[in-house]
Amino acid sequence: MAVTPHTAAPGATDTPQVATATTETEIPSTPPVTDPGPGPAEQPLPVVPGEHPNEAPRLTPVQFTPGKALYKQILPGVMQVPLDLVLAASRKSSLWPMTFGLACCAIEMIGTYMAHYDLDRFGIVPWPSPRQSDVMIVAGTVTKKMAPAVKLLYEQMPNPKWVISMGACATNGGPYTRYDRVLQGVDKIIPVDVYVPGCPPRPEALIDSFLALQAKIMEERKTTGG
Amino acid sequence: MVAEPSERAREFETQDLLLNVGPQHPSTHGVFRMVLSVDGEVVKDVIPYIGYLHRGAEKLCETMDYRQGIGFMDRTEYLAAFNAELSYLMAVETLAELEVPERAQWIRMILCELNRLSSHFMFLGAFGIDVGVFATPFIYAWREREALIDLFEEISGDRMMYAYFRPGGLAWDVPQNFKQRVEEVLKSSEQGIKDFDGLLTNDEIFRARTQGVGVISAADAIDYGMSGPSIRASGVPLDVRRDEPYLKYDEVEWDVITGSNGDVFDRYYCRLLEMRESVKIVRQCLERMADTGPIMPEKMPRMLRTPPGEVYIRTEAPRGEYGIYLVSKGGNRPYRLKVRSACLSNLQALRDMSVGQYVADAIIVLGSIDIVLSEVDR
Amino acid sequence: MTNDTPDTTGAANGDAAVAAPDLSATIWPEVDRALSGITATAEKAVLDVIVFIPRDEIIDGLRRLKNDETLAFDYLRSLTAVDQEEAGMEVVYHLYSTTRRHNLTVKVALDNDDLTIDTATVVWKAANWLERETAEMFGIRFNDHPDPRTLLMPEDMADTFPLRKSHPLQEIEILQGEGMGYGEEGPA
Repeated sequence: MAVTPHTAAPGATDTPQVATATTETEIPSTPPVTDPGPGPAEQPLPVVPGEHPNEAPRLTPVQFTPGKALYKQILPGVMQVPLDLVLAASRKSSLWPMTFGLACCAIEMIGTYMAHYDLDRFGIVPWPSPRQSDVMIVAGTVTKKMAPAVKLLYEQMPNPKWVISMGACATNGGPYTRYDRVLQGVDKIIPVDVYVPGCPPRPEALIDSFLALQAKIMEERKTTGG
Repeated sequence: MVAEPSERAREFETQDLLLNVGPQHPSTHGVFRMVLSVDGEVVKDVIPYIGYLHRGAEKLCETMDYRQGIGFMDRTEYLAAFNAELSYLMAVETLAELEVPERAQWIRMILCELNRLSSHFMFLGAFGIDVGVFATPFIYAWREREALIDLFEEISGDRMMYAYFRPGGLAWDVPQNFKQRVEEVLKSSEQGIKDFDGLLTNDEIFRARTQGVGVISAADAIDYGMSGPSIRASGVPLDVRRDEPYLKYDEVEWDVITGSNGDVFDRYYCRLLEMRESVKIVRQCLERMADTGPIMPEKMPRMLRTPPGEVYIRTEAPRGEYGIYLVSKGGNRPYRLKVRSACLSNLQALRDMSVGQYVADAIIVLGSIDIVLSEVDR
Repeated sequence: MTNDTPDTTGAANGDAAVAAPDLSATIWPEVDRALSGITATAEKAVLDVIVFIPRDEIIDGLRRLKNDETLAFDYLRSLTAVDQEEAGMEVVYHLYSTTRRHNLTVKVALDNDDLTIDTATVVWKAANWLERETAEMFGIRFNDHPDPRTLLMPEDMADTFPLRKSHPLQEIEILQGEGMGYGEEGPA
């Protein structure tokens, strides 16, 4: 679409280019029009032929280099990446755990959220509601009385969701495994992604588990979780 | 704060709503569930359900010898682990007639009082969340707690489950710079107590929310078997450290803090003032403690066996009276170990304290009792 | 020095439950006077005096101990039971007086075929939850209890009693394939 509907201004050439479809015209070397004289700091605006002389130009014409990606030259702010990479990268950088501390490991989990071992710098914000959280950290012993509630909370979380089983009790019952009111590990009722050993695990161990979960998310790059 | 229904409201027939709070909820109290029966916003009845963390520490300790049981006692009261270990080991030492050396007693006392400080800091933080000051007290509390926990880690090797006391004394000696480190920690804790005092105590909104709420009378509190700051706030001067002294509490000077109204504000303020008393006690212990000396009795058997007998030992944990009833039939294991939990007895009074209040007040009342679910459920 | 609590005992310590020790310097004479008419026997334990009261007279005895002026046991510290296997079960009450500051242990012996006893909630309100817990752990029935639900157990597991000596521990399952994990005897 070379020129506007009204009469072609003198000097406009419609030079055919190699590729197509976009506006390329040579800037004619006409003198500036109707100007009382530009001030010392002002530059005269280039006048695109075909446009009204008092209008500002809408597009800055670009020099087009054939052989390179066109969209990079025209729209330099655009990036092309695979969609699953973007989704995985954004999911891993903003994991919101549901605050689900059951027993002593909850205290270490809280300590990891606090200012000394700060999990907020990883984008991890504790969130009380299961319906708006991504990760469930099962911190503490799951007893058989509590097991239905754990399963219900897991099912209330929307996909994609992950589970971190923190501490020895959530992994396999821990020191209380011989008592018959204790569930021997939370993976008997919900699928677990990362197991953190310790009784209780140090805050650094919990941070390490989040990093491992992030690596897992990037590696799997599934668009749905669970 | 009971709302009087007006005449027009009486014309409406409403049903009471059953509101389920827990077992997962945004406050940090753990897996506790209560069903409130509310009429509008006024609580008519509270039915607590506990047992979501019942892990059988009592049964499992019957299969463990006296050293393995220390780890279970840690996990029973995880915020005041030194106090829990102390109760258990005092019971064992009384049955086995072991004499704890003096230096070990001073060190035990210092660590128990510092643990009281860290537990009360956690209370202040969690209570602040319940009252509505969402993050500030909690982060301040953890700043102070991290200082204390760093000290505990230097001494015992673990941040929370210390397993540092042994029957007869301590596992190993404290580091060389113990007194200086404790003094540093005390300075930072004093500043933390001052911060909390300035943040919460004279705040008008805090006072309006907590004064007059959740009152329990002294007679009721005694009848329910409450203990600790929860009963002292009602005016009953019951403190195991003064009434039946153990370790060296009768040789240092300190006051028992009692309140007068028995409401939520008094329970909070008793704990705050108790923290200052703890600092005072620790300073006196540091002066009187010897720098070197034995920490275990000279002749300790390889495997500790107790003669047949039974004993009930109580100590003052931060939440109240933590008692251990130990029945032994000889051998190196308990025959029956009963943990008398302060939080269970305190929690029985929840219903009396919350009925007639608004729903938001019921949450504060629960927070002010300061429960730790693993002690309630064991 | 042992971590001994100052008690009203003048009798020699360390004499755990030996035949007929001298109890006259302990709290026993006042207890005996308060419990006159009730068959009560005493024994000296390491720290406290243990009073044995038969099952049918227990509530009467506890009430007298609470209302008596010199004893004034207004605080129930702990209520639990001990499974003595063939000899039956014992329900143990630990009492304390907030005004006089003395302690007492009261025990009631029950036979294995008749594990019922009257509730103590009529004497102290603290007995409510403590009895619920003892009932579900040992299978003892407390008559006329105002709220006989389970306290710590899940509702569907209320038919077995974990703290009885005959109740076994749970076995650890082998989780990750053959040869890993623990075998039958577990880590104990």
